[in-house]
Amino acid sequence: MLIGFDLLDRQILDADGEPVGKVDDVEIEDGTVVALLSGQQALGERIGGRIGRWIAATARRMSEPPDQPPARIPVDLIAEVTSAVTLSVRRELLVDPPLETWLRDHLIARIPGARDES
Amino acid sequence: MKRVFAVALGILTAIGGFVDIGDIVANAEAGARFGIAHAWVLVVGVVGICVYAEMAGRVTAVSGRPVFDLVRERLGPRVALANLAGSLLVTVLTLGAEIGGVGLALQLATSVDYLLWVPVIGFVLWAALWRAKFSVLENIFGLTGLVLIVFVIAYFRLPADHGELLRQATHPSPGDGEDWGTYWFMAVALFASALTPYEVFFFSSGAVEERWNAKDLLTSRINVFAGFPLGGLLAFALMLTSATVFHPLDLSVDSLSQVALPAAIAFGKLGLAAAILGFFAATFGAAMETGLSTGYTVAQYFGWNWGKLRKPRDAARFHTVVMAGILAGIAVLMTSIDPIQLTEYTLVFSAVALPLTYLPILVVANDRGYLGDRVNGRLANGLGTVYLIVVLAAAVAAIPLMIITRMGGG
Repeated sequence: MLIGFDLLDRQILDADGEPVGKVDDVEIEDGTVVALLSGQQALGERIGGRIGRWIAATARRMSEPPDQPPARIPVDLIAEVTSAVTLSVRRELLVDPPLETWLRDHLIARIPGARDES
Repeated sequence: MKRVFAVALGILTAIGGFVDIGDIVANAEAGARFGIAHAWVLVVGVVGICVYAEMAGRVTAVSGRPVFDLVRERLGPRVALANLAGSLLVTVLTLGAEIGGVGLALQLATSVDYLLWVPVIGFVLWAALWRAKFSVLENIFGLTGLVLIVFVIAYFRLPADHGELLRQATHPSPGDGEDWGTYWFMAVALFASALTPYEVFFFSSGAVEERWNAKDLLTSRINVFAGFPLGGLLAFALMLTSATVFHPLDLSVDSLSQVALPAAIAFGKLGLAAAILGFFAATFGAAMETGLSTGYTVAQYFGWNWGKLRKPRDAARFHTVVMAGILAGIAVLMTSIDPIQLTEYTLVFSAVALPLTYLPILVVANDRGYLGDRVNGRLANGLGTVYLIVVLAAAVAAIPLMIITRMGGG
């Protein structure tokens, strides 16, 4: 498997097929991938340059509590790699994306109808 | 009846691409100035969008991955971010123009200035995207937009010079008082409007919203091969009726009320009412398409939860982006910029952004890791490659043509 071609930038899905994030970066130890890094912080650091640094800094400030390292998913949680990376766990067990939580609590959940199926 | 509704996604996507506010006016303007000398561009455009929407639909149905996922996977995060920025700019400006277009249609019906309608339309649009079921939106606006067929029927009621029209279509040239620069500017704009990037974003994301899988390949193909030609036919009917009524008199068309005139001449008040209803449904449909596409592209780039198949609270980032897109579109309109001119600019910019969207689709449609044995055959690859070259040529030519012809002013 080519990391750059078959793994990086793929969609990560949980055991129920719900989106968790992208493979924004990987953690490598002794030549093998040990964990997937996901979230805008890992993405920003990988993109680099002024825009990348800005994305990463914003994500770092959003995290709860601030200045957390990027969300890390150990490879033994991966069930299958196809056109997406499917995990063997449900996303409730993973770290909640801070931006999603913040927008849900401060904006979206306060609008009538946010809890209803459309 | 189920079969009829099954093609609603293709029809709505095509209407948003071919007969949104910019195209309604651009087709009528081309007809008035050049006759139907641009008819071939519509044919080239319809075939092109069919080739790529078929690939996108197939990839999405088989692998479950919508188009912007592919863009990032194949171009990497940096180039995909540039594509995201470009597409988002085009999509939000177009969204603003469509809201203005709905306003112009309402202005025709009520004589209340369109700018007063804009906040109302923005709110109704947001509420629809917040609450209504995806399939309901599709069916209502896709199928109501088909009322524009009145322009096809109107052509047969109008006293047309068939020989002259046939000559224009078979001998494409600028004609008297026009030059090749403006002719080609129009051609690039009409071509770009047929292949706007948000069409494939919307179509493939819609396929996910409707939970298509490998069994739905046939549904996907029927959507593509029925929806897009139908959209192209409606666009052609606008050009044709305008060429019949305005071109012989050397009149130019620059407002929505003039575009409706051929239907009014052929059928009186009823024709006018049908035309206005059609304009309303088509522009509102296009506003929904572009509004959702802003959320789809951003969410798919970052890997967020998205879509109307989830409760809004489970897709908070997606709904926030859609909301911000609508507000940005309204803000652009409130500068009192002419919505019709706005789409003419966006068409040029979208021509420049096209190759970065279509290249990844072509690459992934050949990848067995995604598609197994459903990869492209020779025909799809041959046509796909030819169109990629055409798209590149249009992208290179768009800005110079815009500058030379001063936006087609001549």
